[in-house]
Amino acid sequence: MNPLAAIFHRNAWNVFRRDFMAWQKYAFSSVAINIFEPMAWFLAIGFGLGAYLTLGKSSLVQFIAPGMLGLAALNAATFDACWGAYERLNFNGVYESMVTAPVDPLEIAAGEYLWQAFRATLYGAIFLVVIAGFGLVHSWWCLLSLPLLALCGILFAMPGLAVAFLVKTQEHLFYYFSFVTTPMAMIGGVFFPLDKLPHWLQNIAWCTPLYHSVQIFRALISGALTPNLLWDLLWLIVAIALLAYVPVPFLRNKLAR
Amino acid sequence: MPTHAAPAVEARGLTKRYGDFEAVRAIDFSIARQECFGFLGVNGAGKTSTMKMIYCRTTKTSGRLDVFGMDAAAHPREIKARIGVVTQDNALDPELTAAENVMVYASFFGITGATARAKTAALLRTMNLEGKERARIAELSGGMKRRVAIARALVNDPEMLVLDEPTTGLDPQARLAVWQQLLDFRARGITLVMTSHYMEEAARLCDRLVIMDDGRILAEGTPRSLIEQFAAPEVLELIGIDLGALRVPLDGLVRRQERHGEITYLYTDDNAALLAHLASSGISAPQHVARPATLEDVFLNLTGRELAE
Ligand SMILES: Nc1ncnc2c1ncn2[C@@H]1O[C@H](COP(=O)(O)OP(=O)(O)O)[C@@H](O)[C@H]1O
Ligand SMILES: [Mg+2]
Repeated sequence: MNPLAAIFHRNAWNVFRRDFMAWQKYAFSSVAINIFEPMAWFLAIGFGLGAYLTLGKSSLVQFIAPGMLGLAALNAATFDACWGAYERLNFNGVYESMVTAPVDPLEIAAGEYLWQAFRATLYGAIFLVVIAGFGLVHSWWCLLSLPLLALCGILFAMPGLAVAFLVKTQEHLFYYFSFVTTPMAMIGGVFFPLDKLPHWLQNIAWCTPLYHSVQIFRALISGALTPNLLWDLLWLIVAIALLAYVPVPFLRNKLAR
Repeated sequence: MPTHAAPAVEARGLTKRYGDFEAVRAIDFSIARQECFGFLGVNGAGKTSTMKMIYCRTTKTSGRLDVFGMDAAAHPREIKARIGVVTQDNALDPELTAAENVMVYASFFGITGATARAKTAALLRTMNLEGKERARIAELSGGMKRRVAIARALVNDPEMLVLDEPTTGLDPQARLAVWQQLLDFRARGITLVMTSHYMEEAARLCDRLVIMDDGRILAEGTPRSLIEQFAAPEVLELIGIDLGALRVPLDGLVRRQERHGEITYLYTDDNAALLAHLASSGISAPQHVARPATLEDVFLNLTGRELAE
């Protein structure tokens, strides 16, 4: 079965519910931790550095604000897909007990996609409220960033889970953070426009999901939508369809031992 | 599917390899419905690997394994729906409470809402865990954790319970409580499959058992028949006396004799007669222990009294 079809399986929602029940117990600290750090970056770069810079007609803070939604989705989904899922697989026996019930690893992966979609949407929505509070949101199109956040959560969860299900020790997750997600955050078009970067770096940026999601977020926040954005959306959807399969065999392999 | 006439579990030539290492080596066994069947063996014997194949966590390398008449490799979902599993490490979710552990597990069997809540409360009560519903797993003692794991395994009204070392690491009271529960389940007609390295436990609970060592089954039978076959009804342990050196004729009173260190083990039908015979042969009032034989003797006879490692 396709892992995306498994999202509609009852068991995927049961896995989601388990993650939600566990999260409820530390929801406050989880939100605080996931919001505070990106907020500090946003304020420091947007208002601090931004005071010295302008980008044509726009201010730096106006440029960064929508990008923070993409970054919030990336952080929210990556952290729990890597760190959390690693523990659920290797330390806590969460998946181990699930597969003694009639549950297939495919349904566990699908449930984790749903859960990361929830996290990305929630943490992104909090950012949306914050930037609206700073007067940086200019269109009702911004409401469409909520489903886009969910889509990003699913997409960012997939490589994160694959890594979590593959690595032998928890420390190896830092390779993924240091070599993949952090550089992606830097060149994904969140903090500065990419047109002055060398061409090869622009090409790499084009290959990241963050770049495409940030293009759409920026348009939804400003209201300046163009048909080109459909290509970015298509890019994200194709990436989801392709990456959906990746974590499943790793999980199946670990759980069959 | 011939699920009614079939035995609960049937294995022929069942083998499990991890890479080059053969953990289970072509074993045969058959577990009847409603019996309590034990796998007895030391660490590394291959018990957990065998359990994992039965509850469809891992697939066999070769051989045949049918559960309720269905090939375990081909029908994991159908089989899992009808069994309960207690793994060696409990696998309880530390981020959830005792009750939440049972409820989440119930959801995977399609049991939700008020039904799940009622069922959870009833199961925790059966396992003497009232008042612990909202406790986090880390707050529970080893015996309580084990009972939560057993409660969880019962949530789908299983026809068969698979328990991997259900009492290892528990204190004596907690172990007795688990034994009592297992005897209750057996009386209710639930097939029990368990592993243990406690001989006494297997002797008390199991209708039939196999002794496993190094991936193989060494012997199979009821506790009584195994004692009859591989030991004798009684054992006389003589301390500090070497009968061989004394050349005492034993007149067929001893079925089997072994010496380890300072102790000579004499397997006999009748300790009193043997002691009388020894006295008449000039060995009066030796330092000794006279006791009935146990599964422990069977086990040690089969696997040797020396430490393997
Ligand atoms: N996943 C695994 N990979 C490699 N070796 C394993 C694995 N699981 C168990 N073994 C090995 O197989 C042997 C039998 O293990 P196990 O079935 O756990 O025995 P028991 O439960 O009787 O202690 C042991 O030597 C163990 O180290
Ligand atoms: Mg074991």
